[in-house]
Amino acid sequence: MTSKLTLVANRGTSSVSQHVSCNECSLNPVCLPLAVSGSELTQLEQIMKRGRPLKRGEHLYRASDPFESVYAVRSGAVKSYSLSEEGDEQVTGFYLPGEIVGMDGISTAHHMSSVKALETASVCEIPFDRLEQLSQKIPSLQHHFFSLMSREIQADRELHMLLSKKSADDRVAHLLLSISARHQRRGLSPSSFRLPMSRYDIANYLGLAVETVSRIFTRFQQQGLIRAEGREVEILDRGALCHVGRADSQRRA
Amino acid sequence: MSHWNTDLMRRYGTQGPRYTSYPSALSFHEEITPDDYARAVAEGNEARRPLSLYLHIPFCRSVCYYCACNRVVTADHRRASDYLQRLKKEITLRAQTLENTRPVQQIHWGGGTPTYLSDAEITELVYHTARHFHMLGDDEGEYAIEIDPRTVTANRVSLLRGLGFSRASLGVQDLDPRVQQAVNRMQPYEQIKDVFDWLRDFGFRSINTDLIYGLPWQSESSLSRTVEKLVALRPDRISLYNYAHLPARFKVQKQINELALPAPEEKLRMFARAGSMLEEAGYRLIGMDHFALPSDELAQAQDNGTLHRNFQGYTVRGDSDIIAYGMSAISRIGNLYVQNWKTIDRWQADLDDDVLPLERGYLLSGDDSIRASLINQLLCNLSLDLEAFGSQWQIDATRYFADELMQLKRLEMDGLVARSGSRISITGPGRLVVRAVAMLFDRTVGHSAGERYSRII
Repeated sequence: MTSKLTLVANRGTSSVSQHVSCNECSLNPVCLPLAVSGSELTQLEQIMKRGRPLKRGEHLYRASDPFESVYAVRSGAVKSYSLSEEGDEQVTGFYLPGEIVGMDGISTAHHMSSVKALETASVCEIPFDRLEQLSQKIPSLQHHFFSLMSREIQADRELHMLLSKKSADDRVAHLLLSISARHQRRGLSPSSFRLPMSRYDIANYLGLAVETVSRIFTRFQQQGLIRAEGREVEILDRGALCHVGRADSQRRA
Repeated sequence: MSHWNTDLMRRYGTQGPRYTSYPSALSFHEEITPDDYARAVAEGNEARRPLSLYLHIPFCRSVCYYCACNRVVTADHRRASDYLQRLKKEITLRAQTLENTRPVQQIHWGGGTPTYLSDAEITELVYHTARHFHMLGDDEGEYAIEIDPRTVTANRVSLLRGLGFSRASLGVQDLDPRVQQAVNRMQPYEQIKDVFDWLRDFGFRSINTDLIYGLPWQSESSLSRTVEKLVALRPDRISLYNYAHLPARFKVQKQINELALPAPEEKLRMFARAGSMLEEAGYRLIGMDHFALPSDELAQAQDNGTLHRNFQGYTVRGDSDIIAYGMSAISRIGNLYVQNWKTIDRWQADLDDDVLPLERGYLLSGDDSIRASLINQLLCNLSLDLEAFGSQWQIDATRYFADELMQLKRLEMDGLVARSGSRISITGPGRLVVRAVAMLFDRTVGHSAGERYSRII
């Protein structure tokens, strides 16, 4: 605990204590270092800043804050959201360790959405102008960064499509499969994991009522697709879970 | 439908320009200077004309034997990465003089195969473009990409839509497996249907498809089966291109077995049959070989008299300057056409020297502009009021075009054109051979075209 406090105290004053060692980080194979090697990694480490730990519910940034950095989630999980005209929170994304958040500000110079921690979390801050400079020198880093951006755009568009075209069952199945795939990418079990977000956040993200989400979890369990207890989820029949969407699109055609 | 008259098509279906520009690229010459370019750009900035950006991605993974495009077939992806860096350089270079507040009304990625690029590369290119130009927000712009159905997944389609593309053009060509095999482009119907589903799921607003008639092993009945299957997918636009077999000019066409090609008579019947099937299915012949659903913007623009024609075919936005990037790409800026070097090496070499890679072009004279405008109106609106046209250009149009109007009488007698007062209208049958009408007013094909007409009629 003390080490975290030290980091908070030193933030922005000493570059030494903020120094990030990507080499020692277990997320190395999925995060930005994936694209670089050797001396390049040192250059990347030099521009990264270890950010402050976030308490549950604490903001990383808010919509309309100036865009200066993107952030790699190091531990825990965060969610992005925007406010509707009525002032209601609309969840737009969940970010797990190794994933980059903050790219929503690239084209507008301001963040478009707000990001706060779903649970105790920590992030590495990557000042964007320095990342851009470094990318000019390391093409593989630039390429990787655009891959990440592509993935972000795809996720955003998929959510949009899910909300406008797909059934409630399909939406829940999609989220479970997405989290599963992201766990697998990190070398964790794709079939047994803990959801970092509440049913309420899931419902909000998928444009459903909380009761609907709970009912679908119950039904998926009855059908033997998953086992769920609180936030712990086990995927029992991946094929059938994928099939939820397939059957739905056949009905539509 | 009575106007699918193969007899007329036989008589007027002469070879002639496609009028994606007037004059055609055959008239371009090398005396165009960087100063001409700079002047045209400055005038466009002054007039704050909107922009239309064309990006040429010449790579293809495999070769289609009918192809007459300027493209590079390679499995070496590094070539695409190298090309992409030069393309970005060209965007940066040209952006130095283009006023960056001019709205980008239209973007078209053509090829080759734009989807040869990886997801990251596609994102990089859009991002780079957006840094230098004033792109329009949610779907105000007409942002289109050509898609090879064999190169996309649902994820890819979601990315393209997320990046702002809202129109797709799919190369279908033909759905008969035997034909597909003969032209080395195997793409099962199911694959094409999947792409349609994804495009619709992810909210693409308009889907254009290309068909080709005159391919090996095609027949009137095989083509009509293709049309039937395609129409069931309800693309918004369908282009029905004529395959011209010119193996001496396009070497890859030597791969095509000439004996398997349909005879000219059969080709005419194929076009007539396919055309009438499309009309029965609710499509409207916009002109030449382009069909669209009445709900499509093209059909609506034609009704409103706001349709235009440019290098991408028919378009609803004609008042913009076209800035074209990539090898062989043609820009049209005010009254200047200018084309990039046609070989990748030369294009690249210029960019590496920080020089605009311009090879040749054409500066329109006053007379050229008048004719270009008249031909555009005829091809797009299918009608023209000589008096209104005259006052628009401050000429006495009846006297200016006295010779042409004399010759027009023959087409009138054949029922292709109707005249009432100062208005010239293309009739139903005339739509099929509207190029022959345009050629009358084309000074660059001039006398020889006239001879060709007399001989043919």
